[in-house]
Amino acid sequence: MKKLIALSVITLASLSAQAEVRINGFANLIGGVITGDDASYVVNGGLGYDDKISFSDESLFAIQVSGDINDKMTATAQLVARGENDYKAEFEWAYITYKATDKVSISAGRFRLPLFKYSASKDVGYSYHWITAPGSVYDVAFNNLDGIRVDYSTYVGDWEYNLQGALGTYSSEIGTGNVTGDNVALFTAEAAYEWFKVRAVAGRGKNTFVSSDLDAALAGLTGSGVSQLVDLADDLSITNDTGVFLGFGIDIDTFDYFISAEITSVDIEQSFSSKDSAVYITAGARLGNFTPSITYEKLDGNKDIKFLDKVAALPAPYQPSVTPLVVGLQQFYMTEYDVVTLGIRYDMDTNVALKADIRKYSDDMSTESNATILRFAVNYVF
Amino acid sequence: MHKKTLATSLISAVIGCSISFFSSAELVLVVHPSNDATIDAKTAQRIFLGKENKFSTGKEALPINQVPESASRASFDTDTLGRSSTQVAAYWSKLVFTGKGIPPKEVANDAEVIAIVAGNQDAVGYVDSASVTGAVKAISLN
Repeated sequence: MKKLIALSVITLASLSAQAEVRINGFANLIGGVITGDDASYVVNGGLGYDDKISFSDESLFAIQVSGDINDKMTATAQLVARGENDYKAEFEWAYITYKATDKVSISAGRFRLPLFKYSASKDVGYSYHWITAPGSVYDVAFNNLDGIRVDYSTYVGDWEYNLQGALGTYSSEIGTGNVTGDNVALFTAEAAYEWFKVRAVAGRGKNTFVSSDLDAALAGLTGSGVSQLVDLADDLSITNDTGVFLGFGIDIDTFDYFISAEITSVDIEQSFSSKDSAVYITAGARLGNFTPSITYEKLDGNKDIKFLDKVAALPAPYQPSVTPLVVGLQQFYMTEYDVVTLGIRYDMDTNVALKADIRKYSDDMSTESNATILRFAVNYVF
Repeated sequence: MHKKTLATSLISAVIGCSISFFSSAELVLVVHPSNDATIDAKTAQRIFLGKENKFSTGKEALPINQVPESASRASFDTDTLGRSSTQVAAYWSKLVFTGKGIPPKEVANDAEVIAIVAGNQDAVGYVDSASVTGAVKAISLN
């Protein structure tokens, strides 16, 4: 016994030494299948389940390594292997954090952009009650940022405040295209009082979307040599165009039950892309080791067709061919759907949770895409 | 069996339960005898949830947790941190994987907590009041 105590004291002493390297990891094994006859179902955002059980669409395994460079500086890297990428491991995050004071820390490198309440732990299924965070809100193309982030946290009495500011660039693939953002600036403010939390976020950046499909669609305009048509192509494309992100969240959690909601909007006004408004509201109860919950989410990226005034101003001979192009291009990228999810989490151990949910997806653009999906998951952290 | 005997044995069983429950739930904080910091349940909560890393004296605080299997851990999580051990684990998973915090080191039982706290001026732990020895200073959580 004494030996054991001596050993743990030694371990503890060595753990507090500066050379400490910490290895943590998490895993989400998620299986899903479409129930009923909706075998052709493909969800926006890539939840591509079909009528055969699949484990690779959303499963992931990750390792995080962090080490203290000195008293004030920590280096962290996260290696993630996603089923959708054939489990090829990639460094999704790599950053150095400098703890300037007890309240201020500065991180630089590649990290998760603090867009949503669960942004930072979006991939750690164990950290929340869902199998996956609501995709209509969380599946945006600009989740990871290369840049710098400043975190400030303080408390006054029982109120806690967190402020975050981030600056940088992002780049990610969407379908066959690639979207990049420059001069991205994001500001987040959060206030929490025991069981109550509110957060607000606002950001903007200069976006560019490069896609061979889009280029092909716009080739007729750009290649026409007619300045009005070239201008229209420029309006439709996303080339160094300002995008604005806004979000608001509220959270009530008494530990016996919880209810929370987030609402966001993404708008690149000067582009073919319709403004996306997304919202979810979720509620659940913690009954011993079980956490049943219900979630409603909706994505509305189906707004008025833009630039019709510019089309109307074109010389009449152009209008019959340009109108369907302008309308068709915008309609092609429009999405509108909602999902109702009934889920249950079972805490098997302090590092393992089992989950199951049933999701009813309703597509407002094409009812043929409607489907009901059954999923189950094992979340593990170490 | 006589009804009265049954009732008596039931009552004693109930009393027995409540006594054992009471004694296992009576946790105290323990710090090094030289630690003069003011610590109450709220401060302990902040320190063990990683929201505060210094004592009121300005000195570094090193929280010593117990493993989830230990008897003291469950009542500390429920009574002082105000959530179940699995909720505390989910809370830490969020901080660990966002680089915002490292959970307190865990040891196996009260004796190990006392051994560490007795030898480290920064350490703070919790034990059943019955486990307290002269080598550490006990602080009430009430």
